[in-house]
Amino acid sequence: MTNNRAKYYFLMPGVIWILAFTLFPLLYSFGLSLTNYRLGRNPKYIGFENYAEILGIGDEKVDKKAVSTASFSAFLFLGSTATTLFFGTFVAWVFNHNLPFLRQMRAVITMPLFAAPIALGWLGVVLFNEQSGPINNVLEGIGLGRVNWFIEPMPARFAVMLTDVWQWTPFVFIVVLAAMQSVPDDLYESAQLDTKSNWVLFRWITFPMIAPALGTVMLLRMVESLKIIDIPYSLTRGGPGSVTQTYVYYAYETGLVGSFQLGEAAALAYLMVVVSIVITSIYFYRVRERFE
Amino acid sequence: MAARAKPLPMPEPRSAFSRASLSDRLIVALALICTFIAFSPFAYAALTSLKSEWKDGSILPFIQFEPSMQNWQTEFGSGGPETFKALRNSTLISLGATIVATSLGTLAGYGLARFKYGIGNRNLVSWFLSQRFLPPVATLIPFVLMFRDLKLLDTLPGMVIVNATFTLPFAVLIMRDYFADLPSELREAALVDGASEFTTFMRIALPLARPALVASTLICFAFAWNEFLFASVLANRDWKPYPMLVAGSDTVRGIDFGFVTTRMLIAVTVPVILSLMVQRFIVRGLTFGAVKG
Repeated sequence: MTNNRAKYYFLMPGVIWILAFTLFPLLYSFGLSLTNYRLGRNPKYIGFENYAEILGIGDEKVDKKAVSTASFSAFLFLGSTATTLFFGTFVAWVFNHNLPFLRQMRAVITMPLFAAPIALGWLGVVLFNEQSGPINNVLEGIGLGRVNWFIEPMPARFAVMLTDVWQWTPFVFIVVLAAMQSVPDDLYESAQLDTKSNWVLFRWITFPMIAPALGTVMLLRMVESLKIIDIPYSLTRGGPGSVTQTYVYYAYETGLVGSFQLGEAAALAYLMVVVSIVITSIYFYRVRERFE
Repeated sequence: MAARAKPLPMPEPRSAFSRASLSDRLIVALALICTFIAFSPFAYAALTSLKSEWKDGSILPFIQFEPSMQNWQTEFGSGGPETFKALRNSTLISLGATIVATSLGTLAGYGLARFKYGIGNRNLVSWFLSQRFLPPVATLIPFVLMFRDLKLLDTLPGMVIVNATFTLPFAVLIMRDYFADLPSELREAALVDGASEFTTFMRIALPLARPALVASTLICFAFAWNEFLFASVLANRDWKPYPMLVAGSDTVRGIDFGFVTTRMLIAVTVPVILSLMVQRFIVRGLTFGAVKG
């Protein structure tokens, strides 16, 4: 630590970039949320009126669409996070065996993770197609009957969730697999003297050892699930009605489509920022030692 | 391992699959099912893209339908100028964003790995990562107004700025982790020899960090390539990237499944191939260093 000035030269470009393109826009956004700005009109300061309108504070009625889209976001937050964690852990358990071919298959499994979500939405349109899509064909084949994925609200919600789950399960998989592979072999060897049950081994050895990684990946999934917009955008256009519109999709539509109510959209987005900050703080609290 | 029903006295020859136990076969079967679920939608899309007309869910080429390259010819032939322009835009935007993000990320990553800062390195790292956690709409709305005032709407620099901003966290984290794992004696020896901090960085640390540089470059490129939301608002004419074409596939001629899947496959090919090249760095990069891969 001899040269005290040099160390700031390394950091400064990045810090300036973040100041200019993350922190400044965030403050700007907060400022906007306190106005009634619409594109093409002069903005007027209205204090916290936008927030009052959304949340139904004071004389205002609660913004019903904000509530319904938030409930779909909550559905994804819980459903997608839980499902990806479950499947991802299961797939990781399967692949954590020293058997031939598994390594080659592993790379294939990570493919959905890197595909553009907007394109996966379209893929979903083809796969979930009600008349001739393979998913309905399979469901009919095994006797469960066809599902109206895009007409009925609940199936539509599941179509969005399943597409997201398909994309993100590999993420949980690779992280949990990495955690499983760091469990020392001798733990299993000594336990195998007492039990033959795979479930007992998983429950009492693997699970406690991977729990910290699961916690981390759960928080990351939670944050990501709140950001979902591309998949419903191309898969369902938010429909039928607006049952598959996520909260951020609603904010996007309010501010950047049609009437361009930027002030109100900024307020909607800012409420989500608060939620993200809470989850993010928990995340950084958990991983704090890693970055010292 | 957990799979073995009973511990064997002697190590089992793993290469001979025929001698694998029943539970081993079950595991391989499960692994095949998982792989099938992950891969089959892509395969289905590929087959659909070879259909000139949509026939009720038939999937077997030559048997159920006559494969044709018509969709691909349309995309690159008659629709070629639009396709190539969007692909060029995507390439230039992703390349620019990757260069900016990896340069800034490498410098910051080195700083965070090698020095202690007054504000606390942990705080700085979380600060760099915060962008990944924020809902994109929150920054998208002000970006529209900022870019309008700075005349950056629908320009290459504008799109590079946007994509560099949200790929920067990956670069910072991957590079910080790698530099932190390099032995600090190398740096100290160079400094004792009278080299400046910057020379030490350029001559000693950077060449050693080549694998991480490659990984950071590929991951940033893949994520910038996939970006749709910002592009949909900030670049909807001249600098439209390829995901915008994918998003608008239905407006061209209704929903034509062969056409939609062709575009979808073109969009996913580049990032998926890149991802296969950086398997080793994916875990750390995507968990922001929280889990070591």
